[in-house]
Amino acid sequence: MSFRAGMSKVTGDIHPSDSYLRVDAIPSVWCSGCGIGLVVHTFIQTLKYLRFDLNKLCVVSGLGCTGKIAEYLNLPSFITTNSNLFEYAGQLKSKNAGSKIIVFSNNADFLVSGAKDFIEIGKKNIDLTVIHINNIIYTITENGIFPNTPFRRMVTGQSDELPFNIPHLAKSCGAQYVARWTPLRAGWLMYSIIDTILKGNFSVIEVVSPCVTYYANRDQMGDAVERMAFYDHFAIMKPGESTENLDLRAHDRLIIGKFLDKDEI
Amino acid sequence: MESKREEKVKVFSSGMKVARGEVEVMRDRCKGCGFCVTYCPMGVLELSEEYNVKGYHFPVVKDEASCINCGLCEMLCPDFAIWSLLKEERPVIELPRRDE
Repeated sequence: MSFRAGMSKVTGDIHPSDSYLRVDAIPSVWCSGCGIGLVVHTFIQTLKYLRFDLNKLCVVSGLGCTGKIAEYLNLPSFITTNSNLFEYAGQLKSKNAGSKIIVFSNNADFLVSGAKDFIEIGKKNIDLTVIHINNIIYTITENGIFPNTPFRRMVTGQSDELPFNIPHLAKSCGAQYVARWTPLRAGWLMYSIIDTILKGNFSVIEVVSPCVTYYANRDQMGDAVERMAFYDHFAIMKPGESTENLDLRAHDRLIIGKFLDKDEI
Repeated sequence: MESKREEKVKVFSSGMKVARGEVEVMRDRCKGCGFCVTYCPMGVLELSEEYNVKGYHFPVVKDEASCINCGLCEMLCPDFAIWSLLKEERPVIELPRRDE
């Protein structure tokens, strides 16, 4: 299986993915080197590879940087309000049983106000694919602490609580498929999305992606390439690891892999 | 003693072909993050000294003959600005060496 198997030959000044994008809106608002662009491109590659029927697909996204994904994809797509993301997606699925719903969620969508609906959907095992892009801060409010911020990070409003563990939350809520990747592992992410689309369970994929602009002032870590490479080298692959060990502690490595697949062949 | 590369060339020289690609850049979409330049396995690209419409340095082709159409630049571009097309196939012996 080759990565470019589904690609058609293109000539002229048209990108091979342009038929999946709203070309008038591009270049996007995302910062130079943001991981969200990588995730979107991987998602498009997946659809190409599967030759997926685009009439049987719907993309739902919420607020903030991640919310713009639905704006740029030339698919049936919805931008919802912050607190109603998962409720909306669940209702959409119950009314359109034949179609596939992909949810791109944000830290604020997921933990701050949407968690109630997330738990409900998990209990009912509604067929949703949640791609959660975790940039470990509130992107808009620059230095605010967040339930997911790593232990003893330099932020205003310092607290000593352990960061929230999203894969464990997903597993406890009844997700059938849980995985975590970084944006540079695009091939692994692609196969995870293929798995979740084909199996039809409630499945959660977390993508730990650096925020290029706001963390840059605090960390003094350099440009986008350096930052992305740091996240990728800091990550260690441990597939099948128990989800209890997966919170973002300060001195542990970032554990990535596929942790749970109840429908494994 | 033969180097690893020479061994590989010996093994694969009997009729094995490798693809040759051609990189195309849409310069006004680029935001100059540099992923394609950093992660290109054959060192085909470099950042230009010119600016595009938005004021970023876009990638230009430095070493046209080396591209093997792996598609990594296209896969890692967050702004849908670069891609490669299959041009022709050629024997593996002609593969140019990348100086580290």
